[in-house]
Amino acid sequence: MKSPLNKRYDLEGLEISRLARLALWRKIVPMGNFRGGPGGKCLAVLMFLHYLGYPLYLALARYGNRLHLLRRIVVKYRF
Amino acid sequence: MDFTTYYSLASMVKAGRRKASDKDVISFDLFDTLFIRRIHNPDLVKLPVARYITELAEQHDRHWHWRKVQQLRDDIERRHRAETGTKFIDHEACYPLFMHELLEEIFQNSYDEVLLEKVTDYELAMENSMLVPRRMLVDWIKELAGAGKKIFIISDMYLPSTHLRQVIKYAGLGEWIDEVISSADSFLAKASGKAYPMIAEKYSVLPSAWLHVGDNPISDGLRAGENGIEAMIIHDPREDQRKSIVKRYYNYGVNEPFWRGRILQQLMAPLESENGKNSVLYSEGYNFLGPLIGVFIQQVARFCREKKITKVFFLSREGWTFKRYWEKAVPHLFPAGDLPEIDYLYVSRMALAGASCAYQGLTKINAGIAFLPTGNRDFRDVCRIFSLRPEAFTSHLAKFNLKADTCLSPAHEGYDPESRKNFDELLEDASFQEEVKRQTQEPSLAMQRYFAQAGMFDHKNVALVDIGWLGTIQRFLFEAIAHRPDCPTCFGLLFGATRGISYPESEKNILKGIMYDRNCFDLAASTLFYAQDIFEEACRAPHPTLNGYKLTEEGFELTFRQTDDAIGQAELEQDGYFVPLQQGIIDSAERFAAAAAFLGYHFDDWKPWINYLFVSKLAFPRAKEVAKIRHRHHLDDFHGSKNPRSNFGKGLVPLWSQPQPQLKFNPFLRMRCFFSHLRRRINE
Repeated sequence: MKSPLNKRYDLEGLEISRLARLALWRKIVPMGNFRGGPGGKCLAVLMFLHYLGYPLYLALARYGNRLHLLRRIVVKYRF
Repeated sequence: MDFTTYYSLASMVKAGRRKASDKDVISFDLFDTLFIRRIHNPDLVKLPVARYITELAEQHDRHWHWRKVQQLRDDIERRHRAETGTKFIDHEACYPLFMHELLEEIFQNSYDEVLLEKVTDYELAMENSMLVPRRMLVDWIKELAGAGKKIFIISDMYLPSTHLRQVIKYAGLGEWIDEVISSADSFLAKASGKAYPMIAEKYSVLPSAWLHVGDNPISDGLRAGENGIEAMIIHDPREDQRKSIVKRYYNYGVNEPFWRGRILQQLMAPLESENGKNSVLYSEGYNFLGPLIGVFIQQVARFCREKKITKVFFLSREGWTFKRYWEKAVPHLFPAGDLPEIDYLYVSRMALAGASCAYQGLTKINAGIAFLPTGNRDFRDVCRIFSLRPEAFTSHLAKFNLKADTCLSPAHEGYDPESRKNFDELLEDASFQEEVKRQTQEPSLAMQRYFAQAGMFDHKNVALVDIGWLGTIQRFLFEAIAHRPDCPTCFGLLFGATRGISYPESEKNILKGIMYDRNCFDLAASTLFYAQDIFEEACRAPHPTLNGYKLTEEGFELTFRQTDDAIGQAELEQDGYFVPLQQGIIDSAERFAAAAAFLGYHFDDWKPWINYLFVSKLAFPRAKEVAKIRHRHHLDDFHGSKNPRSNFGKGLVPLWSQPQPQLKFNPFLRMRCFFSHLRRRINE
């Protein structure tokens, strides 16, 4: 018994980690037209948000006003 | 009075229960508190409304690009807010007023109140589709209402309270809410704090007996406190995480086509109480097959509008699911209308094969189709498929040195190419063809009566929607009606066209594969070959297959296959097994339509993600997925019961037929199967 959307807000059976694995295989095996594919940076950001997003936003909610350095990094790299 | 911030809904509700005990009125903020939005930016809901207005304008021969409509709406709304700001502290706007002005500007003389009503209904429907009530708060509200507390909803919003009531009613909360107060009615908002004394006075509420719950520390916390109202603020990091994910998917999708399908699925995903625990098959239906069918149906509808097709026939039995999906999704995808009629047509290869011979006889290519499945061996199998009585052909067969049980298929022991040559000559014999036509006259007439009743001959262009694969049903269907002067142009729209044999396309008989067409090289979508039967079983109607059309005095009768034999029972068992899968598919339809209408993307935008779904799920499935999704039984009544010779068709066992230990522990199995598949596609 599972929910279609899991607790990490990822799709059951189509998790971001599965996409990352296939994206790696795609580098060496032709798999069809993905029109550019997911892109490494997008994948990394989304994997981070799905897997570590909750602790990040919990910290931001509680201590956000003290985390100026982190905010500056996010703004600088425009994630 | 100070306010308290809570970082989880559970802790807030727990504290709220305690605090509410000595209060008479509990008020809730609406957006991002009682309701959460599926999207990160509420203004994005305005975009599909702009597209809808553009379509309505087109119908009145007024050509507006939706971006221009949106810009005009923003300008008018901004002006209204500025005008309000001259009289009130809050810069509020009222939806009916600025939308009326916008529509008058666009439609000029053709504007009427019905237009405003239509656009308002659509905007509210879009809002509703993007809003989800928070389960814990809903439960708490019911509890509070049961305890005799007054429940108010207070919102700073451009929609007036009458419109907000509809949103609340749609979410099933109407009966629990006493008052809905919107800043659009009074232009006194929570943001300035002016709303609180106005409400206290209007509804005679003492601030000390009032508890307010919201998400904004200023409007819902500070301003409430300034007016002596106890306030609770929710700042849920889980919501921050969810919105942040949605925002990234949405933004990445703007520039990277690959992510457009993923944001579609993220917006389709169920939230809160919609996201209950269910069978794994339900999730596969919702997350995998549902979006595929949705994209297919969306493209079918677009194609029908482009080609001016006025009737769509969904062919049994897979068309049953397609039709249900269409009914739930297409009205939301194309809100301006201009859609073809739809109907479900009872057909099958077996039922149509015989009828196709009534005027043209049994052609060589059609007889060849009968020998494609390896279970068919001789003339008896041809007779079974084309509804012929073999005993009437004894003399014709003898004339060409054949018997009813002479082997005619190279897949079987005892095959002699000379016999097949004799059989081909038999097909050119006039007396043989006369007998074929005589025997198939009645079913053909019955079929035509049924088709006439279904409205097949009342339209110039019709679409025949089916799962696939060779287009045999459409081939037989068109051949059975081609002689009629009122025969329509038939556009066959298949989920996948694998085209094992060449299709006789003509101006009036067109076949097209939407998700996959062998005529266009598409490696990713060609992975459909891995598990065609699964798509058939997943979409199949819960009624037995059609055996034929029977002529009666009153007209015709449809005769279905019996279900009390072993094959019929196996099919019933399969139906039962796939119930959650089909439920997942159907439940995804409305959510697909809302998300697709909201995003405004089309088939080409979804295709990269669809290709990923095909490759990931079909060519590189997990062992447990194969175990779950693989069908238990599959009936193919076209396929005879004879066994081919033992060494025929031996090769690599298909991936989806591999045993579980192989799937679990053989690390190279999937790649080996994929390279084999790749080689076959390239060799085509």
